[in-house]
Amino acid sequence: MVRGLSLLVSSALIAASMPALAEPASPKPEEASPTSSERAVAATTSVVPGVILHGTGHYVLGEPDTAKRLLIVEGIGLGMVLVGGGTLALAGASRYLSGPATVVAASGFGLFFGSFLADLYGVTTTDADAARRRSRSVAGAETEIGYQRVAGPTVHETDIVFQRVALRAGDFRVTPSAWFAAHSTGVRYRIEGAYRILGSTPGASGRGTSDYLDVVVGGLHHRAPKQLFSRSSIELQADTRFDFAHLGATLHGLFFELSAGYAAGRIDYEIPGMTVPSDYDPVLLTRFGIGAIFRGRTHVGSEAVIYYDHRHDEIIGGLVSRGLGSGALGRFGVDGRWFFSSNLGVAAFVEIGSAWHLGTSMVFRQDGALLSGVKDGS
Amino acid sequence: MKRVIAPRAREVLFVCGLQLVVACQRPAEERARRDLDVGHADNGVLGVNVPGGLAAVRVFTSDRLVLWSSAPGWELELDAREAVAFTLELRNIMPSADLTVVESAGASIDPLESELVTRKRYSLTVPAGQTKLRLGAPGALEDGAFRFALMSDVQEAIDAVDDLYLRMNEEDGVDFLLGAGDLTEGGSVEELVEFQDHLEILELPYYTTLGNHELWSKHPPYQDYFGRSSFHFVHRGVHFSMIDSGSATIDPLVYEWLDGWLAAAYDDVHVVAMHIPPLDPIGVRNGAFGNRAEGASFVAQLAQSRVDLTLYGHIHSYYSFDNAGIPAFISGGGGALPERFDNMGRHFMLIDIDPRLGLTDTRIVRVDKDY
Repeated sequence: MVRGLSLLVSSALIAASMPALAEPASPKPEEASPTSSERAVAATTSVVPGVILHGTGHYVLGEPDTAKRLLIVEGIGLGMVLVGGGTLALAGASRYLSGPATVVAASGFGLFFGSFLADLYGVTTTDADAARRRSRSVAGAETEIGYQRVAGPTVHETDIVFQRVALRAGDFRVTPSAWFAAHSTGVRYRIEGAYRILGSTPGASGRGTSDYLDVVVGGLHHRAPKQLFSRSSIELQADTRFDFAHLGATLHGLFFELSAGYAAGRIDYEIPGMTVPSDYDPVLLTRFGIGAIFRGRTHVGSEAVIYYDHRHDEIIGGLVSRGLGSGALGRFGVDGRWFFSSNLGVAAFVEIGSAWHLGTSMVFRQDGALLSGVKDGS
Repeated sequence: MKRVIAPRAREVLFVCGLQLVVACQRPAEERARRDLDVGHADNGVLGVNVPGGLAAVRVFTSDRLVLWSSAPGWELELDAREAVAFTLELRNIMPSADLTVVESAGASIDPLESELVTRKRYSLTVPAGQTKLRLGAPGALEDGAFRFALMSDVQEAIDAVDDLYLRMNEEDGVDFLLGAGDLTEGGSVEELVEFQDHLEILELPYYTTLGNHELWSKHPPYQDYFGRSSFHFVHRGVHFSMIDSGSATIDPLVYEWLDGWLAAAYDDVHVVAMHIPPLDPIGVRNGAFGNRAEGASFVAQLAQSRVDLTLYGHIHSYYSFDNAGIPAFISGGGGALPERFDNMGRHFMLIDIDPRLGLTDTRIVRVDKDY
């Protein structure tokens, strides 16, 4: 079901971008580039009235086709929000419909938000061609080590050391990761195995779009002795990335991410001197993000994503507010990577849920196929 | 001049921003601190104190004191600077409850007529100095099995809630109705007053905590009308802890109080009730705490303290399950938009509990004929 929904969203985006796909999107010749004042006007209109009519900025900038496609994406997103949200409301958060309805509503909100940001991005970005030329090559190996800080009144593990490794061979990826609490024996292990159905793989040229579709199987174990419990889960989800360049030449370097899935979770209580029955605790996995690829002095792999993640079992859970709606939403965050060379970079993120969560890390990546003889999947 | 003000303005903006960020992290802090003010008042001549905040001071003038009770029994401490005479009105009390003098040098209590079984009025004369009174039903301090009802999530259906109250009145042997929040749709003064007006039909007192729907306004008036959002009382040997989880989290101050309540009830039967459950039995819906880790940790804390029963609202249906082995019930059948396809409808629960045996029986009473 989840994979089907991801495919549905991707199909909708591709349908909206069909004319652009038929003609490879390329930036206008230099002499036809808009002036700064024209861009300023377009940027302003992309906000007002663009916040209502997505694509207004592109229309003002003389890109009516891109404007129309952004408007279509907005419509698709809005429709999904209404269908998903309406289902939740009318069905009284039915146990049978809440999961699928939430995925549809969250995905729709992502498209809605994405088409708004895309309009603003497209009219303010002057180096779309540089973004187009930037390689999208996939690292065969990547490793990351860093520190995370969590700040909130109900959080027990505040200082965390984090490590992750990602190894890719052909269409397959395996990503073990772990974090360790600095002041307790709290620990979280996670392993992901992914199969790339669509998109670039290590060893490919890296030219083209950022599109991909992965099916991901994951396992997680989080032990929190201070909080008297541990959580284990098995997860299945689909991860997709859609390159906004499909919608217009001005949108090179911008992408939309969507993940949806299900985690079968179990909570084991670790109470000294007591044996307590475990609880089954499934989790809905839904995430969307809108990101941009860095260019200029950065190297391949540099990008930033603003995202919403609905899952509530991460260390900071979902947003809490004073009253109505508290606990229903997940967390919001920004994640960025900056590579100084073809191999070495830094990553940082900040997110807010029921607490603040910040992290920074060093990242090492190695392009190209990890194993010789593996078929080039590009 | 601007050079002087600008750094100050930046400082103020920074502090305000910081407060906003911190406030996001403790959304229930203001309510927890307001809980500390419930049950205390002073008009210059007479000081009123209800330990534990188990009654809210609704009206306090020179000749009239009106208290809204949040629990079956509590003490009333009066500190008179001079001898005073006034009318004391107690609302939302058990029909069999009465007021007695515990400590006084000459206080007199004369019952007056009252139009409702859940209200009592007295003509009270207290001498200068300390006077301690106690409200309680006969035998309320002795251990013994009893029955109470549970109903939550009335919200927009206040006009139709009388159906549930009339049906409850037909049940024998129910000591009180326990509420797990969402009395109203928006928590306004008008709605809270309307809710209390409808309660006049019910022949039982209604002891409740608040829900997320009581928290729409910037400064929710709930505590002025129904008292504390987190409190603890003991009835016939059974402990009840009512917890404010209306923000899908529990404030650290309430966690501190809870530690004491859990310790006090460790060897006794203990019922813990709140609006939003720590964990939703339908996990993908997440009608639960915003952070699953907090939910799991909270449930572990209850299990470690040998809590006997957990009661929740928020989800507009009926669920029976366990959390960390503790029997748990969600009963959100007060009339709010129902969960579809659950074949439940409006309902309330009847719960039998014994201070020696714990939970002995539960029963659902459905009100709508369609189900």
